[in-house]
Amino acid sequence: MATIFQRYGGFAVISRIVLSFYDRVLDSDQLAPYFEHVDMPVLIDHQTKFIAYLTGGPATISDEALRIAHANRGIDRPAFEEMRRLLAETLEEHGLEPADLEAVMAEIDKRAGLVVTR
Amino acid sequence: MTANPVAANPAPEGLDLDRVRALLLDSATVGLAVAAGADGPILLCNEAFQALFPAPAEGDLRLVDIVPGTAEPAVRERLLAGDRHTAEVEVKLGRRRLVIAVEISPAIGHADGELMIQCQNVSKLKELEYMIDSYSKMIERQNRDLAKEKDRVERLLLNIMPRRVYEEWREFGITTPERFDEATVLLLDFVGFTEMSVAHDPPKLIAELHDIVTSFDRIVEEFGCERLKTIGDAYLAASGLPEPNPEHARNIARAALRLVRYLERRNAISEVRWHCRIGISSRPVIGSVVGTQKYVYDIFGPGVNLASRLEPLCGPMQILLDERTHQLLAGELPCTSLGTQTIRGFGEQHVYRLEGATGSERP
Repeated sequence: MATIFQRYGGFAVISRIVLSFYDRVLDSDQLAPYFEHVDMPVLIDHQTKFIAYLTGGPATISDEALRIAHANRGIDRPAFEEMRRLLAETLEEHGLEPADLEAVMAEIDKRAGLVVTR
Repeated sequence: MTANPVAANPAPEGLDLDRVRALLLDSATVGLAVAAGADGPILLCNEAFQALFPAPAEGDLRLVDIVPGTAEPAVRERLLAGDRHTAEVEVKLGRRRLVIAVEISPAIGHADGELMIQCQNVSKLKELEYMIDSYSKMIERQNRDLAKEKDRVERLLLNIMPRRVYEEWREFGITTPERFDEATVLLLDFVGFTEMSVAHDPPKLIAELHDIVTSFDRIVEEFGCERLKTIGDAYLAASGLPEPNPEHARNIARAALRLVRYLERRNAISEVRWHCRIGISSRPVIGSVVGTQKYVYDIFGPGVNLASRLEPLCGPMQILLDERTHQLLAGELPCTSLGTQTIRGFGEQHVYRLEGATGSERP
């Protein structure tokens, strides 16, 4: 069966989703401070590969890489929840079917422990 | 803003041209401004420009504050000569850090050294550029890995089928069985293999067979033959297939002599002694890939059967030929007639021994 990544149009669509996701993130008072000194093009690139990976696309981001990337960010649970909410909102807006959206969010939730450090 | 489109046409009655110009300027998403030279203040700007470069609380906003590069003499000279200067500057707008592409050009007429400034937010473009770059690299890397993998698979497949058959299989997904009337088959077997003590020491046996088969492969290839398979201690090779080769009988005969010679040399220095028997036949065979899941190229038919029935008739290190191979050799290599023998499935057959191998000196 085709992966979510393939069914929704591959990198072209995933990169649009991620760009629009970060627009929301930077508009959020709760999340924006985390990105104050982050190189956004690099982050957006990583995030696109990460979402591509979660949806069965041709990229691999290991749990270890994810853990290292978030180690010194001091991310707490409410911030994670807010990020999660914004991502779900973005995915929904880009037309992901409820079952697919749920599948992506389940993958995100599985990795919460690697991201939340406070 | 390079020309004034409104001024080009006569204004309709009652239209406030200044208001139209101001509206046009402010509705543009590109930041536009006019500066009184690089050091001079910004004289005029639209809303988009103001949003990107708000005026300081005190004093004037100058072009050099926005694009420090304009302070350089070389840039000034270029601008004075009427050339454009482009630069990218980073601006913090709220929480976002934006990349702004700035283009500075002498204002139309530029009598007083006034400079026209156009600004565009290219942050998204930068992000996309970075992403495209990063993906092309990723894809290139994956392509390289794929090519490497394909190469490995191809090499593996070429071990189990001839190149021409592989190419047909790759192109069409199937291969058609092919009859070869002009081909010679060689079947080699080892004497007393199951009784050899090495046969009870699997690692040693494998090491020995690996060494021997590797050398055999090299020899048959050198003589324009193709190894088809090994079955336990038996070794099957052919010439004249899948590519026709008028020399097929000679190729196989010469390769056979060399195989025996190789074993003799090896036996002289090796702890384990191997003695072979070789049967050769030039009867027709059919070549085909057999199986769909575990495919392998194999040959069938009288050529294979006769070679395999001649081989047990041999003495150690001897090479036996069927009538047709003998004919094809046309006296080029010395042979001895062994008269007719009854061979299962073939009836009475004239059998010859190829001379030149040490085993042929024995009765």
